[in-house]
Amino acid sequence: MIDLAMAWRNLWRNPRRSILTILAIGFATALLVFMLSFQFGAYDDMIDSSVRQSTGHVQIVAPGYHQRPEMRKVIDDPDSLVKAAALLSSLEEVSKRSEAFVLASGEKRSRGLMISGVEPLREAKLSSVPRQIIAGRYLNDSDEAAGVIGALAAQHLQLGIGDECVLLGSGRDGSIAAAVVRIVGIYKSGIDEVDRSTMQLPLQEFDSIFTMEGAVHRLIYTFEQLSDSTPMATLLRQDKRTAGLQVMTWEELTPGLKQSIELDLVSGIIMYFILVVVVAFSILNTFFMAIFERKKEFGVLMSIGMKPRRLVGLMLLESLSMTAVGIVFGILCGIIITMLTARYGISMGDSAEFMAQYGMPERLYPKLTSLSVTLGPLLIFGVTLFTALIPVLRIPNLRPVEALRS
Amino acid sequence: MLKFAVWLTILSLLFCSKLQAADAEAQLLVQKAFDYWRGLSSFAEFSMTIKRPDFERTMVLQGWTEGRSDALFFVLQPPKDMGNGTLKKGREMWSYNPKINRAIKLPPSMMSQSWMGSDFSNDDLAKSDSILEHYDHTIISRRTQDDHQVYTVESIAKEAAPVGWGKQILEIRDDYILLSEKFYDEDMVLVKEMTAENLVDFSDRIFPKTWTMRRVDEEGKFTRLEYMILEFNIEIEDRLFTLTTLKSRKRIR
Repeated sequence: MIDLAMAWRNLWRNPRRSILTILAIGFATALLVFMLSFQFGAYDDMIDSSVRQSTGHVQIVAPGYHQRPEMRKVIDDPDSLVKAAALLSSLEEVSKRSEAFVLASGEKRSRGLMISGVEPLREAKLSSVPRQIIAGRYLNDSDEAAGVIGALAAQHLQLGIGDECVLLGSGRDGSIAAAVVRIVGIYKSGIDEVDRSTMQLPLQEFDSIFTMEGAVHRLIYTFEQLSDSTPMATLLRQDKRTAGLQVMTWEELTPGLKQSIELDLVSGIIMYFILVVVVAFSILNTFFMAIFERKKEFGVLMSIGMKPRRLVGLMLLESLSMTAVGIVFGILCGIIITMLTARYGISMGDSAEFMAQYGMPERLYPKLTSLSVTLGPLLIFGVTLFTALIPVLRIPNLRPVEALRS
Repeated sequence: MLKFAVWLTILSLLFCSKLQAADAEAQLLVQKAFDYWRGLSSFAEFSMTIKRPDFERTMVLQGWTEGRSDALFFVLQPPKDMGNGTLKKGREMWSYNPKINRAIKLPPSMMSQSWMGSDFSNDDLAKSDSILEHYDHTIISRRTQDDHQVYTVESIAKEAAPVGWGKQILEIRDDYILLSEKFYDEDMVLVKEMTAENLVDFSDRIFPKTWTMRRVDEEGKFTRLEYMILEFNIEIEDRLFTLTTLKSRKRIR
């Protein structure tokens, strides 16, 4: 106890040195808290919005349809599932969708297109297409024989608003499906693949062209939160109505998304590691300096009979209390910064427009979690203590007489 | 030393000419087989059954061919698809649908897609004769089967040839009947296989009545053609292979 008091008093004998060290530790801690919160928050937001725009949180499909789409792999009775979905507590939207590969043809040219039959009103919540219309308008539920087409496909087929587009493909029963649809809108998602080869029709229209007889290829669910996906998928799997169907979460639907985020996290971790190493060196330096400056003091203490072991303990206590003060200070700063930015969000500046095209939010919001608050500080605490050991352990090698003379 | 070089040259020359002779023989064999297959012209009525593990569908079609590249097909059955047609002229293909009354030209990107939902691709129809032009042929083995010689010909796509298959392996009988054709992709992996069975005497020649195109990736997935009527070297109107005929409703015989 007396050692702790002594350590604390020693710290403030040279306030400038101690405060500088504390500030270094505090700064690194605050930075780590904020960065981790930001990264976790941004990941959640980015995954959530990208998942919402692409696959939805959970999908129900016929077994194997997602891996290898075929017209005949359908959900026969989607409506009973849609009705049952209302019972899911955190359901936001559930929508039916069907897909077919067709030959589409304008006046002069033709090309292969991926056609989606969608429920126009619900699509607004599910995909970004309704918001990416650059000419004409999006579909509505009363549309007949109307379609919206990707900008590059429209350009290739030389189609404008009001033009007719001929579709030729095969129906669910294997028969030849053909139709003429009027283009009512053109969309540009910014993703070339989508703009070059996709088209959307109202589901009703799709159903009659491709003889679907009420069946659909996918049921797409979105929930209030990304984290609802797995529990809700489990609930859906237990439902008897999904027997013989496949319930897939976003992780199974787009495995690449999770991987790319994990990759990003790894690069983040490398950066944090570098930050921690820099902090460690600055602390190492401070301690070396401190011990060098106080050589005489140690000599005096040792010559009046202080055991080297106790001296080492004392020094460690000094570093411990300094680190503790620094970390507490850093955590407080980190939390304040994080809470402030979480309230107002961080604008992505010029890249916001670009991100919006991919369905990413314009502002990113950090998210304080117990992990983001503790992980960085713990790391710093460990590294600082370890660094302090290096110079401190050299104290027992001091010879009191030489130390006194220096 | 000099002597050795001379011998080597002579040997290699001999070897080369031998190789070339074999190539020419293979080339001729393939060409004859195709001419036998198509005749100068032909008319056929056939059924096409598309078989999937959980699904089966049969269509009846009529078709005309002339020379090595022109062809015209119409669907007779089922009633829902009746009147759908395909015209092939040279390298180009059009598809006609009576419901919307339009003929659509197939773009190059669609050529590898399935023809009328079957395991035959548009390419199989459009480029069926491209094997003569864009492949190098070698006879790789011979065997005797039912008193006939059967040649196995390996046809490898020429460099930069505009074809979808890297390699094809044909089995041709000495009377030029094509018995099977295997299709390999650019990585020389077997993708699908066509076999001809059931040799029948159609008015002027012996011809396989049943043709099966089987994809190797999935068990129980194939398309079978069965000829009901097959006539060769018939009179064909000049206007038959045109878009007008494709669109007209009178052409079904």
